[in-house]
Amino acid sequence: MTLFCQLIENQRVTQHMSLETMSCTRCGDGFEPHEKIVNSNGELWHTQCFVCAQCFRPFQDGVYYEFEGRKYCERDFHVLFAPCCNKCGEFVIGRVIKAMAANWHPQCFRCQMCAKELADCGFIRNQNRALCHECNAKVKEVGMGKYMCNKCHGMIDDAPLRFRGEVYHGYHFNCTACGVELDSTAREVKSRPGFAANDMNELYCLRCHDKMGIPICGACRRPIEERVVTALGKHWHVEHFVCAKCEKPFLGHRHYEKRGLAYCETHYHQLFGNLCFVCNQVISGDVFTALNKAWCVHHFACSVCDTKMTQKSKFYEYDEKPVCKKCYERFPGELRRRLRTAHENTMKKTA
Amino acid sequence: MKQSSGVSSCLPVSAKMSKAKKVLDEARETQNRELDLVDKSVSSFEELPGLFNMLNITRITLSHNKISIVPPGIANLSNLEILTLANNQIQELPVSLSSMPKLRILNVSINRISSLPRGFGAFPALEILDLSYNNLNEKNLPGNFFMIETLRALYLGDNDFEFLPPEVKNLKNLEILGLRDNDLLDIPREIGELTRLRELHIQNNRLTVLPPEVANLDLLGSKSVMKMEENPWVTPIMEQYLLGISHVLDYIKTDTYKVLYNRHMHAGRSGPPPPKVDKSKKASRNWA
Ligand SMILES: [Zn+2]
Ligand SMILES: [Zn+2]
Ligand SMILES: [Zn+2]
Ligand SMILES: [Zn+2]
Ligand SMILES: [Zn+2]
Ligand SMILES: [Zn+2]
Ligand SMILES: [Zn+2]
Ligand SMILES: [Zn+2]
Repeated sequence: MTLFCQLIENQRVTQHMSLETMSCTRCGDGFEPHEKIVNSNGELWHTQCFVCAQCFRPFQDGVYYEFEGRKYCERDFHVLFAPCCNKCGEFVIGRVIKAMAANWHPQCFRCQMCAKELADCGFIRNQNRALCHECNAKVKEVGMGKYMCNKCHGMIDDAPLRFRGEVYHGYHFNCTACGVELDSTAREVKSRPGFAANDMNELYCLRCHDKMGIPICGACRRPIEERVVTALGKHWHVEHFVCAKCEKPFLGHRHYEKRGLAYCETHYHQLFGNLCFVCNQVISGDVFTALNKAWCVHHFACSVCDTKMTQKSKFYEYDEKPVCKKCYERFPGELRRRLRTAHENTMKKTA
Repeated sequence: MKQSSGVSSCLPVSAKMSKAKKVLDEARETQNRELDLVDKSVSSFEELPGLFNMLNITRITLSHNKISIVPPGIANLSNLEILTLANNQIQELPVSLSSMPKLRILNVSINRISSLPRGFGAFPALEILDLSYNNLNEKNLPGNFFMIETLRALYLGDNDFEFLPPEVKNLKNLEILGLRDNDLLDIPREIGELTRLRELHIQNNRLTVLPPEVANLDLLGSKSVMKMEENPWVTPIMEQYLLGISHVLDYIKTDTYKVLYNRHMHAGRSGPPPPKVDKSKKASRNWA
């Protein structure tokens, strides 16, 4: 991949062709008599044009790397194109393992079940995982109706313990309350009040599971002995049922629910509703929406002259704000020219 | 745009006075709390007698005039919420502005401001600050500029910034950051701490890499905007950009890119940075 170039004197070239017909591969201009010219594989360059496509500096000792028709200095070529290990992210120097549509250090390419190095013993692709032959055989057994423990990857001969959507040997777990070693009869507590997300699920032995009946607060996870608020499918201490944003308790005031969380009116609208770009208040009446923003009826106006606009008003976009035609025409000419060019370029790109 | 200082003084002084003065008199009569003084050939606040005593005023709009000096006395207007001075000839702002208790929106875009006074960042309630199209850069900002915690939108487009100070992370409420058409060579990693940011305009700068932390921001939501065109991006970013912004944000999250970015930052910028654009034709450069 490393390429070299040579510097030649004008006179030697002109023996074969005339100086007028020669031009620089980069800028297309001709050469001055006695000017030094770079000849790289028959292509001619000004010395100042024969530079790295990334950093625009000349190549040290004439060494360059070519990629997709462009020339790079050694440093930039490495930064831009040298293979990176898909596991550790470092450059791969020396042996590159090309597998699973990526590059790897030999010591980074391992079985995704048992972590054995795969570079020399070969691997099998199984549902987008690279597996060693042994693990692949186990997975096949599972396909025939047997369960494999998600913790130790051994086969499960009797009934499996189901937990968070996976199967396990029961003996890997203990009861959350009494600590006894569990078996397949253990209960996974899914919606016990007090647990917000799925992955908060816990395992209990049958005996402890039966004893649980008192409501538990969704915030502090302690039993609730006084007034209970029930919301979002959980129970809460009155003072612990709070806005997910400002953390103030609702104390009986209205709350708004979104994606399993509760919010006060202000924060619900701030996060999910329409706030007027100018007054930053919740918009209760008509909403003007444009340029990824919203305005209340009082504040939909030109951002330069504050003149009110209607739904029908034509306006220009300037930094994603509306500008009326009158104001736009008062902009400095050179600014308008640049905005026009930028607009045309975006249209070209999206076209 | 050539200097045309003749225009305002061609008018008879009395006629000019009456135009703007009429607006003030009417507002006083009707108890109107909003003053529209757009394109009234005002060249000095002296043409607006008694204005600083109209304490109930909440909005003043003076766009498209010829004002070059904003007197400190304007801070007397303790109920003022919106001050729009776009497209004038202002070179300096008084520090007293930053003590106005209710000022929420300040628009001084398209002027000739080359520095901001010391202590300018003390605004207690400012939400939108438009400084676009002036002559500002990171060296002429006051030390407390990024302490305006209430700021929701900061427009700095069409200025001369080469670096964005990392203190930008203090603008905890910032939703919009406009840096279009500057000379930026770098974006600080701290930008990733602006958790509410949903508009980032960095088009037309001299940027080659993006900090991976930009991927932490919510720039793909339905109300989000990310503008990054016209920068000399490194090839891998450029390739993703051609496929779309979401591809760029996915790519800069990868370990491969983090390695590239770290190397790029460690190695320092190699060779001359991408060239600046010639801005001598900007109207903000015309000195009176
Ligand atoms: Zn280079
Ligand atoms: Zn590796
Ligand atoms: Zn097991
Ligand atoms: Zn138990
Ligand atoms: Zn509680
Ligand atoms: Zn709240
Ligand atoms: Zn509003
Ligand atoms: Zn307007």
